[in-house]
Amino acid sequence: MITGDQLQLRVAAIRDISPTLRLVRFENAGDGPLPPSATGAHLQVVLQGAQKEIRNAYSLISKPGSRDAYEIIVRRVPESRGGSAYIHEQLKTGDLLTTSWPGNLFAPQRSARKHIMVAGGIGITPFLSYVADFAGKGIDYELHLCCREEEKDSFAPWLPEPDKVFVHWDADGHRLDIPALLLRQPANSHLYVCGPDFLTNDVLEAAETGGWPDNHVHCERFGNALSGGEAFRAVLQRSGKEIEVGEHESLLEAIEREGVEVPCLCRGGACGVCLTSVLDGEPEHRDHYLGKAERAGGKHIMPCVSRAKSGLLVLDL
Amino acid sequence: MSLRKSIPDFRLLENSMNTTTCDAGHRSELNDRTAPPSMRSRPTYSSLSPDTAGAEHLLVIEADALQPGQASALSKSFTSVAEALRTVVSGSELPLPGANVQPDLAATLLAVKARLSGATMQQRVYAIGSEPFIWSIHTAAIDAGLDEKQIRLCHSGSLKRRVWCTHCHETTENVTTNIVACTGCGRRLLVRDHFSRRLGAFMGVQIDAEVPGDVPAIEEVFP
Repeated sequence: MITGDQLQLRVAAIRDISPTLRLVRFENAGDGPLPPSATGAHLQVVLQGAQKEIRNAYSLISKPGSRDAYEIIVRRVPESRGGSAYIHEQLKTGDLLTTSWPGNLFAPQRSARKHIMVAGGIGITPFLSYVADFAGKGIDYELHLCCREEEKDSFAPWLPEPDKVFVHWDADGHRLDIPALLLRQPANSHLYVCGPDFLTNDVLEAAETGGWPDNHVHCERFGNALSGGEAFRAVLQRSGKEIEVGEHESLLEAIEREGVEVPCLCRGGACGVCLTSVLDGEPEHRDHYLGKAERAGGKHIMPCVSRAKSGLLVLDL
Repeated sequence: MSLRKSIPDFRLLENSMNTTTCDAGHRSELNDRTAPPSMRSRPTYSSLSPDTAGAEHLLVIEADALQPGQASALSKSFTSVAEALRTVVSGSELPLPGANVQPDLAATLLAVKARLSGATMQQRVYAIGSEPFIWSIHTAAIDAGLDEKQIRLCHSGSLKRRVWCTHCHETTENVTTNIVACTGCGRRLLVRDHFSRRLGAFMGVQIDAEVPGDVPAIEEVFP
């Protein structure tokens, strides 16, 4: 059933495509087609972790616009906050899950002459929807996947134009030379990167030193690794609550645990939807949304990823 | 009969709309706006300097628009990228060794297009001259796929304008007066500060739409 801002989906199929990669196919738990999803879109999935509810955003790899099912690929991560562990260990066909409607913070730039995609490991997932969209349309693109050697063929079934895909791994002669890649691209190329922070930062830095205008460079970061840190306390002024934010949860998760609602979308510090006013205390900004002056001002925080420097934050919630 | 069928010509429709406008303040408002304090579309320029993040640089100069000594000053400010710099000069020779000299704007645009075919993300384009000139170069660079951020423009020389007629959509070149007859439709156009980056032109609006023939004194305001 499609109600409000949430979807009720049924797990239609689960398939392991490698020891650490699991594909999950969702269908509408009720009647009728699903809302359409755009190229680069993601789905926020509510999962039952060991101690608490977890919301993770996963890129949709199903063909953009398809309304019969949504598909995601989830990597099992050792430092899992519980989300990937739950999907890999407990989720089974027929389970019902609550998700958001598809959101999109990473749409391709349609006016581009050429699309250059750089993926780190499971960061390939948004680009699987890009290539599903682009394939057969004569759109010029290059997809560069940086991954472990044993996974170089894992995504082949989703890559319909293998001559446009280049796989790199950590061995002599196989590493991606990012500056060289960025030097040979025609005017009006657009660059997209999705992967772990060290790869994303390398690509962004190479693009800047390589003279790419910043509006031609786009990234989507993994939110997971960003949200943990030292425990601190937060006062929700309007709700009259004082909460403890644990080491392994985000401020947003702690707020939600207390039943206070904060509008949110990406849960990765990118979209700006969860912007919250800070009444007292000093935030530790980890988002990619606030500008330098806004950060220095200390009046706002993105609770999905950012934390406290001061041990106590007072929020206008 | 529908309105659309009764008016077969868009120009007639425009004309009839203009002549039936009952806004008494319209004229004076337009006149007041010939020099508004802040027309947001009006471009502003600063002097040219190389963008060292680029790796290939193309400098396009309208020779007649430069002040004495300006060519050597330009050459000096581009010294840091001299090895990756190509220069195209339009109109006449300048004391710039190695420059590709073209006789006029049309030939200059061909040279610029040839140079920018196969341009990369590291390409940078700089143009200096009158506004019709530098915005023609801008258009050529955008057509070649460059981003606004890869282009730097500097206005020098004449204030003459390219004027785009809002009625017939033709452009009138080398306009130096506040009011000009459109080369497309002949309407007398008030030359506004409203600027289109896409067209590289200022907007021209019929000055005597309400009272045909009521045209103020024509003065040279863009020498």
